[in-house]
Amino acid sequence: MGTDQPPQPTPRRRSRLLVHGESVIASVGIALAAILLSVMAALAWWTMRSERQTLEQARIDQVQAVGHLLSQSAEAMLRNVGAVEKAEAESPPATPSNNTTPNAEQAPPAPGAAELSAIRRLVADAGEKYDLTQCRIVLSDGTVIASADPTQITAAALPDSWTRSRPFDDALPEASDGSCSMSFEIKVPGRGDADLEITAPTRPGRVRGWEAQAGVGAIGAVAMVCLLFVYRHMRHRVRALGAIREALLAIEGGETAASILQVSTDLGIEAKAWNEVIAAREKLRRQDVAERAREAMGQRGEVRGDLAAACDAMSQGLLLVDEKNVVSYANGAAAVFLRARKEDVVGAPVDRFLQVDNVLRAVKDVAAGSVRRRTVVDVERKDDVPGGAGVLRFSVRPVRRDDSASAMVTIEDITQQKVAEEARHAFVAHTTHELRTPLTNIRLYVETAIDEGEQNPATRAKCLNVINGETRRLERIVGEMLSMAEIEAGSFKIKPDDVRLETVFDEIKADYQQLATEKKLSLDLKLPPKLPVIRGDRDKIMLALHNLVGNALKYTPEGGRVTIAVETDGRQLYVNVTDTGIGIGSEDMERIFERFYRAKDPRVAKITGSGLGLTLAREVIRMHGGDVTVESQLNQGSTFTMTLPLKAEAA
Amino acid sequence: MKIHEQIQGAVTVLRPEGPLVEGDAALLKQRLMQSHSASLGRFVVDMSAIPYVDSKGLEALVEVTEEMGRSGQVLRMCGANKTVREVLELTDLASHFDHFEDANTAVRSFL
Repeated sequence: MGTDQPPQPTPRRRSRLLVHGESVIASVGIALAAILLSVMAALAWWTMRSERQTLEQARIDQVQAVGHLLSQSAEAMLRNVGAVEKAEAESPPATPSNNTTPNAEQAPPAPGAAELSAIRRLVADAGEKYDLTQCRIVLSDGTVIASADPTQITAAALPDSWTRSRPFDDALPEASDGSCSMSFEIKVPGRGDADLEITAPTRPGRVRGWEAQAGVGAIGAVAMVCLLFVYRHMRHRVRALGAIREALLAIEGGETAASILQVSTDLGIEAKAWNEVIAAREKLRRQDVAERAREAMGQRGEVRGDLAAACDAMSQGLLLVDEKNVVSYANGAAAVFLRARKEDVVGAPVDRFLQVDNVLRAVKDVAAGSVRRRTVVDVERKDDVPGGAGVLRFSVRPVRRDDSASAMVTIEDITQQKVAEEARHAFVAHTTHELRTPLTNIRLYVETAIDEGEQNPATRAKCLNVINGETRRLERIVGEMLSMAEIEAGSFKIKPDDVRLETVFDEIKADYQQLATEKKLSLDLKLPPKLPVIRGDRDKIMLALHNLVGNALKYTPEGGRVTIAVETDGRQLYVNVTDTGIGIGSEDMERIFERFYRAKDPRVAKITGSGLGLTLAREVIRMHGGDVTVESQLNQGSTFTMTLPLKAEAA
Repeated sequence: MKIHEQIQGAVTVLRPEGPLVEGDAALLKQRLMQSHSASLGRFVVDMSAIPYVDSKGLEALVEVTEEMGRSGQVLRMCGANKTVREVLELTDLASHFDHFEDANTAVRSFL
């Protein structure tokens, strides 16, 4: 639709857009969540990294402080060792000894041994307490005099003097590979230099690192769960907002249809509120339309006089023609009947628009005043436009005034009346014929029975049999007419009950088998092994089936075949009545269900029928919630299909 | 929108199928105007296959009614569902149309 406005997006495309928008919003939500999580993870990693660096630096500072303290203490103690030895040398011990060399290393106890062991204890304590990998005092010639690891000690006592044989490494403490090493210089006056060497691990304890990681992980997991939870709850909202956004964009794009702008109410309260807004807007627009309509209708009344308005409100066409044969007035309906614009008709010569000879003659006569009676002419008009053909009734009558004469022409469309009249005529003719045939038969057989019945019981029985059959036929015809009248009057009702289809089809077969044999037709019933019980009015369903099967037999020439096939798909029951009869032409196909309509085929005209049967069958089955349809090929045969719902309650 | 056309007796029954909105309304209006001039107003709109009508649809119906009103005719419709009838009643437009239960009744009203 809307081909006249190509740039406008079609409603179909819009609605697809709305759906698309919702999914875009949803994926944006997921992307945001992913970004947030990544940022959190990066933040956690960065925090842990800087925390670790801080801890490492603190450890280095600690080790350095310990080293300073230790080196100063050791220096003081080593000086002390020197002082003690000197004192011992100046005043030898009470027990004289032959071997009193000042550097008698083996002589226990060595001079200053107590001080040295104090240093060693101090170093060992520091090593243990501050978790140092290595902590030792090395003299500058490479001799180790104290160490946290006692196996590294290479000299039991302090030598008198030594000389530096290795360079002192005064590099700044450096952390590498998770540990740091540093050296501190100790000066022992009069003997030489010594170095305090310390190596310590700087990496924080493994347990501590794990704790931090687990903490961050747990917080992350909780955050993620919360995020998912919130997302789950927000998803509908977000989708609703997305849909509303699309709708707003659509409004900006010029969309106005409420049906397109509304969003699904499943999307929550926002969607409902939005729909209410749209509905209110639509209501306002409708009020606006109604207002405009009222104004337009009101204006028409105001602008013209009451009389002119009244004439325009007439469904009959009205023309006034003066004595010069010029149209002096035409109402709206007249313009429509003459297929012209009202403004063009008024003031124009009457023969410009009215080209029917006898009407024109009548108008001219009356307008001239020569004829003073009313003339009525029915004009049939042919038209190529479907529905255009019809019958117009022109009534011409004089309008007398003192000074002038004029003619008033009223135009009426009586097509439908004509059609109805024809149909009624046909109906009366058909039904009279239909009713007379069985009546004639009954009368003939009654006479025969009266004349011969006394003597010949066989004849009497045959007569009674025929009379019985004809009476039933008569009853059915009258019943059909009554039903049709009831449907027309709206008082037709169906009384739903359980209908056993087995008995229905048994009855149909019994009723028509004889007729089929007489006409030399084969009548086949194809029933499924088990027929369902349906809900409906048995008499009315029978009536419809009688019509379909009766028609099939009626319109199939000798030697043909009529098949009644019953199928069910669990929801509906299909009864296909197929014949090899005369078939129905395409132009009749749509119309055969109309009341009183009989196909134009000359073969049909020879067969009696009211033109009511199929109308009735369809009406009755439609009242049951089903339908009757037809497929046919001229001269090949027809299939009438009756569909009945299995479960649904009869309407 | 698909508009089915059927002639019953001398009356054209137009049965639009689908919602009467936006572009469809213009199409229906054009079709009704065409039918009006062709059949001299002898037509019925069968609304039974129209699920809902928006303001554009109403506008189209009002315009056709106005056009027909100029020649003293009324738009006859039939089979409108509850939703559509409610809209017509709420907007006070129901009185501008003739509404019938089904197409047969509407066709009979031409007698």
